[in-house]
Amino acid sequence: MSDPGAVGGSVTYQRLVHKNSSGFHYMKVSLVFEKEGKRIDGAFFKQLIISALRNVYGEIGAAFPFDVLKFEEKSLTAVLRVYNSGLVKLWSALTLLGSYQNETCAVRVVQVLLPYQYTGGP
Amino acid sequence: MRRFTRFYLVREVPVFELLGEECLEKTVRTGRFYALSYKTRIDQDDVVALLPTGQLILSVVKDTYEQLGLEGRPSQYAHKRPMRYVVVIDLTDKSMAPGSKRYDRVLWALREKVPLKTDFLMACHSVVGTEAWSLPPCLSRYPWKELQASVDTQTLRDLPCPVLHGDDLRGETACEPHAFLEWLGAVGLGIGCENEATSFLSTYECPEPRTLVDQAVLCTVTGLLLPEDIHSLLEELRRYFDQPKSSSWLSLVVHGFADSPISWGMAEHGFHKGGENFYSFVLFKNQDYWLHMGTGANDGCPP
Repeated sequence: MSDPGAVGGSVTYQRLVHKNSSGFHYMKVSLVFEKEGKRIDGAFFKQLIISALRNVYGEIGAAFPFDVLKFEEKSLTAVLRVYNSGLVKLWSALTLLGSYQNETCAVRVVQVLLPYQYTGGP
Repeated sequence: MRRFTRFYLVREVPVFELLGEECLEKTVRTGRFYALSYKTRIDQDDVVALLPTGQLILSVVKDTYEQLGLEGRPSQYAHKRPMRYVVVIDLTDKSMAPGSKRYDRVLWALREKVPLKTDFLMACHSVVGTEAWSLPPCLSRYPWKELQASVDTQTLRDLPCPVLHGDDLRGETACEPHAFLEWLGAVGLGIGCENEATSFLSTYECPEPRTLVDQAVLCTVTGLLLPEDIHSLLEELRRYFDQPKSSSWLSLVVHGFADSPISWGMAEHGFHKGGENFYSFVLFKNQDYWLHMGTGANDGCPP
């Protein structure tokens, strides 16, 4: 998009193709408790997921990092970031989670995103 | 922003109505009409799209395809046994002229064999200076609602922002493109970028090299947005750099519908873990630009 009238201006064009190059996956999840009106914070939520991972995969299997990028206390929804290698383990552990600290709950995976599909689009 | 074309949500429209002579005149023959079935999932339901080129695309499940009896091809993203088929009908072709054999067959299939009915999002771009387009009677007899693109603007203060150099596509001296796109997404979702590496909840940080920006504007527009309007918006954004105190770059990200049957021209689009298909323009003050085009696993390569 250089000005074609510019003296001495040259228009260069480069195309780079990246395949499977993002190291992360992102998940939009929603936590639902059987007992309505329960309030928790981000740290509690992360501990809940870590314990779900340990229950399914054990200490070593659950030893991979993930981030809770955003946690909304009112709606109990969160955006998680995990390395590609940990996606299947995290997703399966969330699916199999049935209760935490004797409270019946479930995690619904609303969306699995690549980095860019962030705006909660159509 | 107010100049975005209004669009319509029309409920329970039988697909064969789009083939009617009057409907064709007011929609397909304008060359600027867009329609997409609403809340139909590309991996589970029958999805219908009508392009301004006059192509009617039916992405249907196996049962619907077998009952319809129209010629199509299996989906590119099918497993061993195809469970989804794509039928493409060019409504502007001579063989589809009203009254011809092929036209009658297609009409019969959609009216009698499988009366496909779905909600549609529809819009038609009006040429400047002419009257705004409105729903023709063949469509307005069904429950409809006129909608306007919703615009949400936020001012962000003291925002950590990556440094970009227009001629550095690989991110050797400035921010790397993937990290930049991740940051753009984080800003869009209101995710904090100032975490420590030892933080329990999140270790996400704004990518280096970075700078602190006093003020930035994040504007989100949602709706059925036509390419013509996006093009006009892009032209307006280019003019932003004419102002004396403008930033060194700005970004425009456009997301396609996750459940659209096509993306990037006529390439088939599918939904694997996600239905992402988007492009992002980053415009620089010196009129250089970056164009990022992102697709999912079940998509063709962008042009």
